[in-house]
Amino acid sequence: MDSIRDDVKEFYSNLEVKIVDESHDQDTTDLHKCVAFVCNSIPDPEKSNLCILVVGALGGRFDHEVGNINVLYRFSNIRIILLSDDCLIYLLPKTHRHEIHIQSSVEGPHCGLIPAGAPSTSTTTTGLQWDLTDMGMSFGGLISTSNIVCGAKVTVRSDSDLLWTISIRRAN
Amino acid sequence: MEVMRHASTFLLPSSSPPTGDGPALTYALVVLNQRLPRFAPLLWSRAQLRVCADGGANRIYDGLPELFPDQDPLDVRLRYKPDVIKGDMDSIRDDVKEFYSNLEVKIVDESHDQDTTDLHKCVAFVCNSIPDPEKSNLCILVVGALGGRFDHEVGNINVLYRFSNIRIILLSDDCLIYLLPKTHRHEIHIQSSVEGPHCGLIPAGAPSTSTTTTGLQWDLTDMGMSFGGLISTSNIVCGAKVTVRSDSDLLWTISIRRAN
Repeated sequence: MDSIRDDVKEFYSNLEVKIVDESHDQDTTDLHKCVAFVCNSIPDPEKSNLCILVVGALGGRFDHEVGNINVLYRFSNIRIILLSDDCLIYLLPKTHRHEIHIQSSVEGPHCGLIPAGAPSTSTTTTGLQWDLTDMGMSFGGLISTSNIVCGAKVTVRSDSDLLWTISIRRAN
Repeated sequence: MEVMRHASTFLLPSSSPPTGDGPALTYALVVLNQRLPRFAPLLWSRAQLRVCADGGANRIYDGLPELFPDQDPLDVRLRYKPDVIKGDMDSIRDDVKEFYSNLEVKIVDESHDQDTTDLHKCVAFVCNSIPDPEKSNLCILVVGALGGRFDHEVGNINVLYRFSNIRIILLSDDCLIYLLPKTHRHEIHIQSSVEGPHCGLIPAGAPSTSTTTTGLQWDLTDMGMSFGGLISTSNIVCGAKVTVRSDSDLLWTISIRRAN
Protein backbone atom coordinates (compact mmCIF):
# COMPACT_ATOMS: atom_id res chain seq x y z
CA MET A 1 0.00 0.00 0.00
CA ASP A 2 2.93 2.37 -0.56
CA SER A 3 1.85 3.44 -4.07
CA ILE A 4 -1.96 3.63 -3.95
CA ARG A 5 -3.15 7.22 -3.65
CA ASP A 6 -5.28 8.18 -0.65
CA ASP A 7 -8.21 9.33 -2.81
CA VAL A 8 -8.11 6.12 -4.81
CA LYS A 9 -7.99 3.98 -1.68
CA GLU A 10 -10.92 5.87 -0.22
CA PHE A 11 -12.98 5.54 -3.42
CA TYR A 12 -12.66 1.76 -3.58
CA SER A 13 -13.00 1.32 0.15
CA ASN A 14 -16.35 3.11 -0.09
CA LEU A 15 -17.37 0.60 -2.79
CA GLU A 16 -16.50 -2.14 -0.29
CA VAL A 17 -13.60 -3.43 -2.34
CA LYS A 18 -11.53 -5.68 -0.09
CA ILE A 19 -8.25 -3.93 0.72
CA VAL A 20 -5.56 -6.23 2.08
CA ASP A 21 -2.42 -4.63 3.49
CA GLU A 22 0.64 -6.87 3.03
CA SER A 23 3.33 -4.36 3.93
CA HIS A 24 4.66 -6.73 6.61
CA ASP A 25 5.83 -9.16 3.92
CA GLN A 26 8.90 -7.72 2.21
CA ASP A 27 10.14 -11.05 0.81
CA THR A 28 7.83 -11.39 -2.15
CA THR A 29 6.84 -9.07 -4.97
CA ASP A 30 3.37 -7.62 -5.36
CA LEU A 31 2.73 -9.96 -8.28
CA HIS A 32 3.75 -12.99 -6.23
CA LYS A 33 1.30 -12.00 -3.49
CA CYS A 34 -1.50 -11.50 -5.99
CA VAL A 35 -0.86 -14.81 -7.76
CA ALA A 36 -0.86 -16.60 -4.42
CA PHE A 37 -4.12 -14.87 -3.52
CA VAL A 38 -5.78 -15.82 -6.82
CA CYS A 39 -4.69 -19.44 -6.42
CA ASN A 40 -6.09 -19.58 -2.91
CA SER A 41 -9.35 -18.06 -4.11
CA ILE A 42 -9.99 -20.66 -6.81
CA PRO A 43 -11.44 -24.01 -5.64
CA ASP A 44 -9.19 -26.98 -6.31
CA PRO A 45 -11.11 -28.63 -9.18
CA GLU A 46 -10.86 -25.40 -11.21
CA LYS A 47 -7.17 -24.75 -10.49
CA SER A 48 -5.99 -26.78 -13.47
CA ASN A 49 -8.06 -24.57 -15.77
CA LEU A 50 -6.89 -21.33 -14.18
CA CYS A 51 -5.07 -18.72 -16.27
CA ILE A 52 -3.87 -15.49 -14.69
CA LEU A 53 -3.56 -12.49 -17.04
CA VAL A 54 -1.20 -9.77 -15.81
CA VAL A 55 -0.89 -6.19 -17.07
CA GLY A 56 1.72 -3.69 -15.97
CA ALA A 57 4.47 -6.26 -15.28
CA LEU A 58 6.79 -5.14 -18.09
CA GLY A 59 8.69 -1.93 -18.84
CA GLY A 60 9.69 0.55 -16.15
CA ARG A 61 12.37 -0.61 -13.74
CA PHE A 62 14.23 -3.64 -15.02
CA ASP A 63 14.51 -5.28 -11.59
CA HIS A 64 10.71 -5.10 -11.24
CA GLU A 65 10.32 -6.69 -14.67
CA VAL A 66 12.70 -9.51 -13.76
CA GLY A 67 11.02 -10.04 -10.38
CA ASN A 68 7.72 -10.42 -12.26
CA ILE A 69 9.18 -12.84 -14.79
CA ASN A 70 10.57 -14.85 -11.89
CA VAL A 71 7.02 -15.30 -10.61
CA LEU A 72 6.32 -17.30 -13.80
CA TYR A 73 9.16 -19.64 -12.81
CA ARG A 74 8.14 -19.86 -9.16
CA PHE A 75 4.54 -20.75 -10.05
CA SER A 76 5.48 -22.89 -13.04
CA ASN A 77 2.43 -25.14 -12.60
CA ILE A 78 0.00 -22.19 -13.06
CA ARG A 79 -0.73 -20.52 -16.40
CA ILE A 80 0.36 -16.89 -15.98
CA ILE A 81 0.57 -14.52 -18.96
CA LEU A 82 2.32 -11.13 -18.78
CA LEU A 83 0.90 -8.62 -21.28
CA SER A 84 1.89 -5.20 -22.56
CA ASP A 85 0.76 -3.15 -25.55
CA ASP A 86 3.64 -4.67 -27.53
CA CYS A 87 3.82 -8.34 -26.59
CA LEU A 88 2.90 -11.17 -24.26
CA ILE A 89 5.13 -13.61 -22.36
CA TYR A 90 4.50 -16.95 -20.69
CA LEU A 91 6.45 -19.94 -19.47
CA LEU A 92 6.73 -23.21 -21.42
CA PRO A 93 7.68 -25.72 -18.70
CA LYS A 94 10.17 -28.37 -19.81
CA THR A 95 7.85 -31.05 -18.43
CA HIS A 96 5.57 -30.79 -21.47
CA ARG A 97 5.57 -30.66 -25.25
CA HIS A 98 3.85 -27.41 -26.23
CA GLU A 99 1.38 -26.58 -28.97
CA ILE A 100 0.79 -22.87 -29.47
CA HIS A 101 -2.23 -22.12 -31.63
CA ILE A 102 -1.51 -18.71 -33.14
CA GLN A 103 -4.39 -16.21 -33.20
CA SER A 104 -3.00 -14.30 -36.14
CA SER A 105 -5.64 -11.58 -36.13
CA VAL A 106 -4.35 -10.36 -32.76
CA GLU A 107 -0.79 -11.62 -32.35
CA GLY A 108 2.42 -12.16 -34.25
CA PRO A 109 4.34 -12.46 -36.41
CA HIS A 110 7.36 -11.53 -34.24
CA CYS A 111 8.22 -14.06 -31.56
CA GLY A 112 11.01 -15.52 -29.46
CA LEU A 113 12.04 -18.35 -27.17
CA ILE A 114 14.20 -17.42 -24.21
CA PRO A 115 16.14 -19.68 -21.80
CA ALA A 116 16.05 -17.13 -18.99
CA GLY A 117 16.89 -19.34 -16.08
CA ALA A 118 19.42 -21.75 -17.41
CA PRO A 119 20.83 -22.80 -20.76
CA SER A 120 18.95 -25.29 -22.90
CA THR A 121 20.96 -28.14 -24.39
CA SER A 122 18.25 -29.20 -26.79
CA THR A 123 15.22 -27.35 -28.12
CA THR A 124 13.18 -28.36 -31.16
CA THR A 125 10.44 -26.30 -32.77
CA THR A 126 8.06 -26.36 -35.72
CA GLY A 127 6.10 -23.48 -37.22
CA LEU A 128 8.76 -20.79 -36.99
CA GLN A 129 10.65 -19.12 -39.83
CA TRP A 130 13.91 -20.11 -38.14
CA ASP A 131 13.00 -23.42 -36.53
CA LEU A 132 15.33 -25.01 -34.00
CA THR A 133 16.28 -28.65 -34.37
CA ASP A 134 17.88 -30.14 -31.26
CA MET A 135 19.57 -26.77 -30.79
CA GLY A 136 21.26 -25.45 -27.68
CA MET A 137 20.35 -21.94 -26.48
CA SER A 138 22.01 -19.76 -23.87
CA PHE A 139 22.87 -16.19 -22.95
CA GLY A 140 26.20 -15.45 -24.58
CA GLY A 141 25.25 -17.76 -27.43
CA LEU A 142 22.11 -18.33 -29.49
CA ILE A 143 18.75 -17.12 -28.23
CA SER A 144 15.74 -17.20 -30.52
CA THR A 145 14.71 -13.55 -30.82
CA SER A 146 13.21 -11.68 -33.78
CA ASN A 147 11.83 -14.99 -35.02
CA ILE A 148 8.65 -15.14 -37.11
CA VAL A 149 5.62 -17.44 -36.80
CA CYS A 150 4.65 -19.16 -40.06
CA GLY A 151 1.15 -20.51 -40.06
CA ALA A 152 -1.37 -21.57 -37.50
CA LYS A 153 0.60 -23.63 -35.03
CA VAL A 154 3.97 -23.57 -33.30
CA THR A 155 5.29 -26.57 -31.39
CA VAL A 156 8.11 -26.46 -28.84
CA ARG A 157 9.93 -29.17 -26.98
CA SER A 158 12.91 -28.41 -24.77
CA ASP A 159 15.06 -29.77 -21.95
CA SER A 160 14.83 -26.39 -20.23
CA ASP A 161 12.03 -24.08 -19.11
CA LEU A 162 11.63 -21.43 -21.83
CA LEU A 163 9.84 -18.12 -22.03
CA TRP A 164 7.62 -17.80 -25.12
CA THR A 165 7.02 -14.25 -26.32
CA ILE A 166 4.97 -13.02 -29.26
CA SER A 167 4.15 -9.53 -30.48
CA ILE A 168 0.64 -8.17 -30.18
CA ARG A 169 -0.85 -6.53 -33.25
CA ARG A 170 -1.78 -2.87 -33.07
CA ALA A 171 -5.48 -2.34 -33.83
CA ASN A 172 -5.97 -0.48 -37.13
CA MET B 1 41.00 -11.95 -8.68
CA GLU B 2 41.25 -8.56 -10.32
CA VAL B 3 38.94 -5.71 -9.38
CA MET B 4 36.76 -4.03 -12.01
CA ARG B 5 35.51 -0.55 -11.08
CA HIS B 6 32.28 1.01 -12.25
CA ALA B 7 30.84 4.49 -11.83
CA SER B 8 27.93 6.16 -13.65
CA THR B 9 29.79 9.45 -13.78
CA PHE B 10 28.57 9.93 -17.36
CA LEU B 11 25.14 10.75 -15.86
CA LEU B 12 26.52 13.68 -13.88
CA PRO B 13 26.06 17.15 -15.36
CA SER B 14 28.86 18.00 -17.83
CA SER B 15 30.09 20.75 -15.55
CA SER B 16 30.82 18.34 -12.68
CA PRO B 17 34.44 18.00 -11.59
CA PRO B 18 36.01 14.54 -11.95
CA THR B 19 35.04 12.34 -9.00
CA GLY B 20 38.03 10.04 -9.03
CA ASP B 21 35.56 7.14 -8.95
CA GLY B 22 36.29 4.50 -11.53
CA PRO B 23 38.63 4.64 -14.52
CA ALA B 24 38.69 7.40 -17.16
CA LEU B 25 36.72 6.05 -20.08
CA THR B 26 36.13 6.79 -23.76
CA TYR B 27 32.40 6.79 -24.44
CA ALA B 28 30.45 5.86 -27.53
CA LEU B 29 26.68 6.22 -27.87
CA VAL B 30 24.36 3.85 -29.72
CA VAL B 31 20.77 4.95 -30.31
CA LEU B 32 18.15 2.23 -30.91
CA ASN B 33 14.55 2.62 -31.98
CA GLN B 34 12.66 3.56 -28.81
CA ARG B 35 11.71 6.91 -27.33
CA LEU B 36 14.83 8.82 -26.21
CA PRO B 37 15.42 9.15 -22.47
CA ARG B 38 15.30 12.74 -21.24
CA PHE B 39 19.08 12.75 -20.57
CA ALA B 40 19.99 11.75 -24.15
CA PRO B 41 21.66 15.15 -24.84
CA LEU B 42 23.95 14.62 -21.82
CA LEU B 43 25.03 11.19 -23.09
CA TRP B 44 25.55 12.67 -26.56
CA SER B 45 27.89 15.29 -25.10
CA ARG B 46 29.92 12.58 -23.33
CA ALA B 47 30.38 10.43 -26.41
CA GLN B 48 33.16 10.65 -28.97
CA LEU B 49 31.35 8.42 -31.42
CA ARG B 50 27.58 8.43 -32.01
CA VAL B 51 25.88 5.66 -33.94
CA CYS B 52 22.20 5.29 -34.79
CA ALA B 53 20.84 1.84 -35.41
CA ASP B 54 18.32 2.11 -38.23
CA GLY B 55 15.12 3.54 -36.65
CA GLY B 56 17.26 5.16 -33.97
CA ALA B 57 17.87 7.83 -36.59
CA ASN B 58 14.13 8.62 -36.54
CA ARG B 59 14.34 9.02 -32.77
CA ILE B 60 17.24 11.50 -33.02
CA TYR B 61 15.55 13.42 -35.82
CA ASP B 62 12.17 13.67 -34.02
CA GLY B 63 13.16 13.38 -30.38
CA LEU B 64 16.04 15.82 -29.93
CA PRO B 65 14.12 18.89 -31.15
CA GLU B 66 11.38 17.83 -28.69
CA LEU B 67 13.93 18.00 -25.87
CA PHE B 68 14.78 21.57 -26.91
CA PRO B 69 11.33 23.00 -27.65
CA ASP B 70 12.55 26.62 -27.56
CA GLN B 71 15.10 26.05 -30.28
CA ASP B 72 14.80 25.80 -34.04
CA PRO B 73 14.45 22.10 -34.95
CA LEU B 74 16.89 22.38 -37.83
CA ASP B 75 19.54 23.92 -35.55
CA VAL B 76 19.07 21.07 -33.08
CA ARG B 77 19.31 18.45 -35.82
CA LEU B 78 22.49 19.98 -37.22
CA ARG B 79 24.02 20.06 -33.76
CA TYR B 80 23.10 16.44 -33.01
CA LYS B 81 24.35 14.79 -36.14
CA PRO B 82 25.29 11.12 -35.77
CA ASP B 83 28.57 9.79 -37.14
CA VAL B 84 27.02 6.67 -38.64
CA ILE B 85 23.60 5.16 -39.26
CA LYS B 86 23.79 1.40 -39.46
CA GLY B 87 21.46 -1.57 -39.63
CA ASP B 88 18.71 -3.19 -41.65
CA MET B 89 17.34 0.10 -42.93
CA ASP B 90 13.81 -1.25 -42.62
CA SER B 91 12.73 1.24 -39.94
CA ILE B 92 14.44 4.51 -40.90
CA ARG B 93 12.05 6.92 -42.60
CA ASP B 94 12.87 8.08 -46.12
CA ASP B 95 12.87 11.75 -45.12
CA VAL B 96 15.18 11.08 -42.18
CA LYS B 97 17.54 9.02 -44.34
CA GLU B 98 17.65 11.76 -46.95
CA PHE B 99 18.28 14.47 -44.34
CA TYR B 100 21.29 12.73 -42.82
CA SER B 101 22.56 11.54 -46.17
CA ASN B 102 22.65 15.17 -47.35
CA LEU B 103 24.72 15.98 -44.25
CA GLU B 104 27.13 13.28 -45.36
CA VAL B 105 26.43 11.02 -42.41
CA LYS B 106 27.79 7.58 -43.26
CA ILE B 107 24.86 5.24 -43.90
CA VAL B 108 25.75 1.55 -43.81
CA ASP B 109 23.15 -0.91 -45.03
CA GLU B 110 23.51 -4.26 -43.27
CA SER B 111 20.26 -5.85 -44.40
CA HIS B 112 22.16 -8.83 -45.82
CA ASP B 113 23.11 -9.88 -42.30
CA GLN B 114 20.04 -11.34 -40.62
CA ASP B 115 21.94 -13.27 -37.98
CA THR B 116 22.75 -10.46 -35.57
CA THR B 117 20.67 -7.73 -33.98
CA ASP B 118 21.09 -4.05 -34.83
CA LEU B 119 22.76 -3.50 -31.46
CA HIS B 120 25.24 -6.30 -32.11
CA LYS B 121 26.16 -4.73 -35.46
CA CYS B 122 26.63 -1.31 -33.87
CA VAL B 123 28.74 -2.63 -31.00
CA ALA B 124 30.96 -4.51 -33.45
CA PHE B 125 31.26 -1.32 -35.52
CA VAL B 126 32.22 0.80 -32.50
CA CYS B 127 34.82 -1.77 -31.41
CA ASN B 128 36.34 -1.79 -34.87
CA SER B 129 36.42 2.02 -34.95
CA ILE B 130 38.36 2.41 -31.70
CA PRO B 131 42.15 1.88 -31.93
CA ASP B 132 43.41 -1.00 -29.81
CA PRO B 133 45.14 0.96 -27.02
CA GLU B 134 41.87 2.75 -26.23
CA LYS B 135 39.67 -0.37 -26.35
CA SER B 136 40.22 -1.23 -22.69
CA ASN B 137 38.86 2.18 -21.72
CA LEU B 138 35.90 1.99 -24.08
CA CYS B 139 32.38 2.22 -22.68
CA ILE B 140 29.39 1.95 -25.01
CA LEU B 141 26.25 3.73 -23.79
CA VAL B 142 23.03 2.44 -25.38
CA VAL B 143 19.62 4.09 -25.38
CA GLY B 144 16.43 2.53 -26.71
CA ALA B 145 17.39 -1.08 -25.88
CA LEU B 146 14.72 -1.63 -23.21
CA GLY B 147 10.94 -1.64 -23.25
CA GLY B 148 8.88 -2.36 -26.35
CA ARG B 149 8.98 -5.92 -27.64
CA PHE B 150 10.37 -8.34 -25.07
CA ASP B 151 12.32 -10.41 -27.61
CA HIS B 152 14.11 -7.25 -28.75
CA GLU B 153 14.97 -6.42 -25.13
CA VAL B 154 16.34 -9.91 -24.54
CA GLY B 155 18.30 -9.83 -27.81
CA ASN B 156 19.89 -6.58 -26.62
CA ILE B 157 20.70 -7.96 -23.17
CA ASN B 158 22.31 -10.95 -24.88
CA VAL B 159 24.69 -8.54 -26.63
CA LEU B 160 26.09 -7.71 -23.16
CA TYR B 161 26.87 -11.41 -22.71
CA ARG B 162 28.29 -11.86 -26.20
CA PHE B 163 30.63 -8.87 -25.81
CA SER B 164 31.39 -9.56 -22.15
CA ASN B 165 34.87 -8.04 -22.38
CA ILE B 166 33.48 -4.61 -23.47
CA ARG B 167 31.74 -2.21 -21.09
CA ILE B 168 28.22 -1.76 -22.50
CA ILE B 169 25.51 0.03 -20.51
CA LEU B 170 21.82 -0.11 -21.47
CA LEU B 171 19.92 2.98 -20.32
CA SER B 172 16.29 4.01 -20.09
CA ASP B 173 14.54 6.83 -18.26
CA ASP B 174 13.98 4.43 -15.36
CA CYS B 175 17.17 2.43 -14.95
CA LEU B 176 20.48 1.24 -16.32
CA ILE B 177 21.83 -2.29 -16.78
CA TYR B 178 25.30 -3.71 -17.33
CA LEU B 179 27.09 -7.02 -17.03
CA LEU B 180 29.33 -7.94 -14.08
CA PRO B 181 31.53 -10.70 -15.54
CA LYS B 182 32.34 -13.53 -13.12
CA THR B 183 36.02 -13.13 -13.96
CA HIS B 184 36.33 -10.07 -11.71
CA ARG B 185 35.48 -8.73 -8.29
CA HIS B 186 33.36 -5.63 -8.84
CA GLU B 187 33.34 -2.24 -7.14
CA ILE B 188 30.39 -0.05 -8.05
CA HIS B 189 30.83 3.57 -6.94
CA ILE B 190 27.29 4.87 -6.52
CA GLN B 191 26.58 8.38 -7.87
CA SER B 192 23.69 8.99 -5.53
CA SER B 193 22.71 12.35 -7.01
CA VAL B 194 21.69 10.61 -10.25
CA GLU B 195 21.09 6.92 -9.48
CA GLY B 196 19.59 4.61 -6.89
CA PRO B 197 18.44 3.60 -4.44
CA HIS B 198 16.59 0.71 -6.11
CA CYS B 199 18.84 -1.97 -7.54
CA GLY B 200 19.11 -5.65 -8.40
CA LEU B 201 21.44 -8.47 -9.36
CA ILE B 202 20.17 -10.91 -11.96
CA PRO B 203 21.63 -14.30 -13.02
CA ALA B 204 20.14 -14.10 -16.49
CA GLY B 205 22.10 -16.75 -18.28
CA ALA B 206 22.61 -19.42 -15.73
CA PRO B 207 22.15 -19.92 -11.99
CA SER B 208 24.75 -18.63 -9.56
CA THR B 209 25.87 -21.00 -6.82
CA SER B 210 27.65 -18.34 -4.80
CA THR B 211 27.31 -14.56 -4.83
CA THR B 212 28.58 -12.22 -2.10
CA THR B 213 27.87 -8.51 -1.87
CA THR B 214 28.50 -5.53 0.38
CA GLY B 215 26.74 -2.16 0.39
CA LEU B 216 23.19 -3.38 -0.19
CA GLN B 217 20.28 -3.32 2.25
CA TRP B 218 19.84 -7.06 1.69
CA ASP B 219 23.41 -8.19 1.14
CA LEU B 220 24.11 -11.69 -0.17
CA THR B 221 26.66 -13.87 1.58
CA ASP B 222 27.74 -16.90 -0.45
CA MET B 223 24.13 -17.10 -1.68
CA GLY B 224 22.81 -19.03 -4.65
CA MET B 225 20.52 -17.23 -7.12
CA SER B 226 18.36 -18.59 -9.93
CA PHE B 227 15.11 -18.16 -11.80
CA GLY B 228 12.53 -20.12 -9.87
CA GLY B 229 14.38 -19.30 -6.67
CA LEU B 230 15.99 -16.20 -5.21
CA ILE B 231 16.88 -13.26 -7.46
CA SER B 232 17.99 -9.99 -5.91
CA THR B 233 15.34 -7.51 -7.08
CA SER B 234 13.92 -4.47 -5.30
CA ASN B 235 17.15 -4.25 -3.32
CA ILE B 236 18.43 -0.91 -2.01
CA VAL B 237 21.93 0.59 -2.13
CA CYS B 238 23.24 1.81 1.22
CA GLY B 239 26.08 4.23 0.97
CA ALA B 240 28.77 5.04 -1.53
CA LYS B 241 30.04 1.68 -2.70
CA VAL B 242 28.64 -1.72 -3.61
CA THR B 243 30.89 -4.74 -4.10
CA VAL B 244 29.91 -7.94 -5.89
CA ARG B 245 31.68 -11.22 -6.31
CA SER B 246 30.02 -14.20 -8.01
CA ASP B 247 30.66 -17.52 -9.71
CA SER B 248 28.26 -16.51 -12.47
CA ASP B 249 27.91 -13.55 -14.85
CA LEU B 250 25.32 -11.21 -13.32
CA LEU B 251 23.36 -8.25 -14.61
CA TRP B 252 23.57 -5.21 -12.32
CA THR B 253 20.64 -2.82 -12.55
CA ILE B 254 20.02 0.43 -10.68
CA SER B 255 17.23 2.99 -10.90
CA ILE B 256 17.88 6.43 -12.37
CA ARG B 257 16.61 9.42 -10.43
CA ARG B 258 14.09 11.68 -12.08
CA ALA B 259 15.32 15.26 -12.32
CA ASN B 260 13.27 17.55 -10.08
